[in-house]
Amino acid sequence: MAQPILETRHIVKQFPKVLANDDINLTLNQGEILCLLGENGAGKSTLMNVLYGLYKPTSGTIVLDGEEVEFSSPRDAIDRGLGMVHQHFMLVDTLTVTENIILGSEPGRGPQIDYRTARQQVKELSERHGLRIDPDAKIMNLSVGLQQRVEILKALYRQAKILILDEPTAVLTPQEVEEFFAVVRGLRDNGVSIIIITHKLEEVKAISDRVYILRRGRIEGERRTADVSKEDLANLMVGRAVVLTVEKSDHQAKQEPVFEIDDLRVLDDREVAVVDGLSLDVRPGEVVGIAGVDGNGQSELAEAIMGLRSVAGGSLKHLGEDIKDLTTKERIHRRISYVPADRHRYGLVLPFTVAENIAMGYHDRAPNASGGGMRLNYSAMEEQATRLIKDFDIRTPGPLAPASHLSGGNQQKVILAREFTRNPSFLLVSQPTRGLDVGAIEYIHSQILAMRDQDVGVLLISLELEEIFGLADRILVLYEGAIVKEFVASETDEREVGFYMTGGKKEQSA
Amino acid sequence: MSSTHEHTEPGRLPSILTIASAVLGAAGLVIWLGASMSRGETYYFWGIWLIVAALAVYLWRYRLLNGGEALRELLRSSARKMAVPVMGVVTAIVLGGILMLATGYNPIEAYGALFFGGLVRNWHISILNAAPLIFTALSVAFAFKAGLFNIGAEGQYYMGAMAAAWLSIHFTLPGIISLPLIFIFAGLFGAMWTIIPALLKVRTGAHEVITTMMLAHTARYLSPVFIRANGGDPATSTHPYVTWEILPNNFLPRFQQFLPQANYRVHTGILIAIVVALLIHYILYYTSWGFEIRAVGENKDAARAQGISVGKNIFRALLIAGFLAGLAGFNQVNGLDHRLFENLQAGYGWNGISVALLAGGNPIGVVFTGLLWGVLDAGGQFMARTTQTPSAIVEIVKGTILFLVVARYIYTAIGNWRRKRQRHREADAANAVKEGA
Repeated sequence: MAQPILETRHIVKQFPKVLANDDINLTLNQGEILCLLGENGAGKSTLMNVLYGLYKPTSGTIVLDGEEVEFSSPRDAIDRGLGMVHQHFMLVDTLTVTENIILGSEPGRGPQIDYRTARQQVKELSERHGLRIDPDAKIMNLSVGLQQRVEILKALYRQAKILILDEPTAVLTPQEVEEFFAVVRGLRDNGVSIIIITHKLEEVKAISDRVYILRRGRIEGERRTADVSKEDLANLMVGRAVVLTVEKSDHQAKQEPVFEIDDLRVLDDREVAVVDGLSLDVRPGEVVGIAGVDGNGQSELAEAIMGLRSVAGGSLKHLGEDIKDLTTKERIHRRISYVPADRHRYGLVLPFTVAENIAMGYHDRAPNASGGGMRLNYSAMEEQATRLIKDFDIRTPGPLAPASHLSGGNQQKVILAREFTRNPSFLLVSQPTRGLDVGAIEYIHSQILAMRDQDVGVLLISLELEEIFGLADRILVLYEGAIVKEFVASETDEREVGFYMTGGKKEQSA
Repeated sequence: MSSTHEHTEPGRLPSILTIASAVLGAAGLVIWLGASMSRGETYYFWGIWLIVAALAVYLWRYRLLNGGEALRELLRSSARKMAVPVMGVVTAIVLGGILMLATGYNPIEAYGALFFGGLVRNWHISILNAAPLIFTALSVAFAFKAGLFNIGAEGQYYMGAMAAAWLSIHFTLPGIISLPLIFIFAGLFGAMWTIIPALLKVRTGAHEVITTMMLAHTARYLSPVFIRANGGDPATSTHPYVTWEILPNNFLPRFQQFLPQANYRVHTGILIAIVVALLIHYILYYTSWGFEIRAVGENKDAARAQGISVGKNIFRALLIAGFLAGLAGFNQVNGLDHRLFENLQAGYGWNGISVALLAGGNPIGVVFTGLLWGVLDAGGQFMARTTQTPSAIVEIVKGTILFLVVARYIYTAIGNWRRKRQRHREADAANAVKEGA
């Protein structure tokens, strides 16, 4: 049996209104990968911040190497061999890898930094752990996956024996995830103990040795990963049996397409054609899923459909009329609805209230405004918001709470409430469940299918194949800006689709 | 909305109270602003009492409609909002006092003179100082709401002033017709001066800080040319750096015309400034224009995705900002000076930035901070004259106030950014708990 290196005993963390951690006992063994699984808000990050010295526990103790410790700041935790990689990296873009790694613990005397030693140390460290990286590269020129490497190296440079990784794969592409897993396993084999915080079941199964499941601030269970199924984990996590794929009824789509794209060509910011020769159609009452690896033209396609990016060639037809030259506003008022992938950037004005966010887009017309927009009707906005908060089960203090105060899942519900209740004929949904917990995903999926059953044509862009398979009636594979293959969802499987997503047999099928 | 109060039936009473509060407040404001200590001190305090009464009536109405708990919450939240600016002012005054002690002046005597001078003895000068600042600060604040920094209000001010002076020299129509026209044209000329920055911003992304500031200098140095062409003659001693006087029919009405005790120089520009501030507040928070401008200011990507044109709203916001700064020129020419001076030192545009920052970009707040700045300026001069304390001390106090209050915004911005993640988590945790309930 492995040696326990870190233990928490009866940790309780009480926030003003919320009991975030309730009597947490967990043990991390020397040289293992431990996952901490839980929905958003289950108390995972609070617990990690307690371990890392960012929060003081209300009661309970932390035992490190058999010795009771008390951290009053992350500095203490770092000194005792704890390292943490946050979900959002804390790197200086304009500095090099070496400079970022040594930042805060520079070798050398007084104000002088011994760059030569530093560079040498970084190089050695990266070779020892198999974290290949150019020590002189500037952070801004690195991919997200490599930036994460720098964060890990930064922790190792400070002699971390225990590494805490907060949602490490949230920002990575599928290939980077694989590489990341390899790196983590390598670290474990070198004797580093690792805690991974996550809400992704696949990740737990793929990487961890052991898993603790957290729910509502309490430990719901502890399992050896090898002995537990995904379904069991999901049940422990949400406390009820979750149908991982939402029940999809049969629904006959209409014949006449509601939205047609023909030979579309869209340029990105560098003036490169990232969507080129793309054609598709969506019929009322079906979900068309666009599967593809990120960066194959998904965001540009969505922006072109909504008029947020100009079209370089081809046509976009909504109900038979070309809408290529219409403004975004005109498209919205043709009852084209859009759930953007990046909800903070494109979906919501965070400082605005929930009511204002729901009214946005229709803010200049009745019932939200009268007199040609010269008088906003706040009580009508609030009334509508109150109704939708109830209908869509949005957890918010009220319609007048700023959107920034809501959790991710509830923010997404605000967007859904706005877009789905505008009586759309065509619905563009991009990455609707990214970063959300299982409960919210299930709800959002069922809402999308409900729209389909009301004969709305739905175009779903998603990077997650499970989501595509769970929702789509037809699956189109997007590769390098064009549709390379079309499948009927019920007649294919993830392996086949995945094969085309990575460019397999492009010529043969096109 | 219904009252839980035992006897009151809301009925018509709240509307009556609203009207009463508005009438009392307006009357109190006019009397207070127009009061002159040297002539009729009783009016000064009457004005203050009327304003207090209006406030009391308003709070009574609020309690009637929303109940006592809501009233207490309103008072609490207002106190919270006011706490930082008030603390900033108090701290700056204390620091200024320490500085005076250290340099050998008597702070009690000096501050006594400062506040007596600014608030009582030379109250009329405070008012005269505040009016143009409120206009230029509204200009800066309005642009803020669209996420823009109109640093060139000074130039738009000069354009407005030139337009107002030229029209006022030539218009012979009765004031009731010509004044509104001049008012509008002064604003339009100010707005004209933001067309180029707005176009450049929308078409090429050129930063408005650079373009408006460069045009500010252009306009400032255009003014001597304009003055030479309209009566200014450096060769004479009577009219060296100033235009002809404008026609008397184009003078803004003065307080003295309806309040005999008022100082003869105090004109109704301050009232126009307050009305315009209310109007701007209305536009920002009660019209779809304001909604779009604020949405663009807070998150232009999300606004765009909802069909709100970013370019149109930036254009609109900058032009309205220019219009407001132009009105400051109208206020000075038609209200106070009745001619255009080649006064390149006044800096109403630049000071408007401070006033707007101090108010946190809030149009109603601008009225208060504008008055505060006016009081400090007028009081500072009085203090320097009567106690021989250098008026530079007042500049230091002003700078410190600005620093403490604005630094606080910076501090909260950083704090918010840091706390955001934690808040999200707490919100999530709260939801998780609610799910259980």
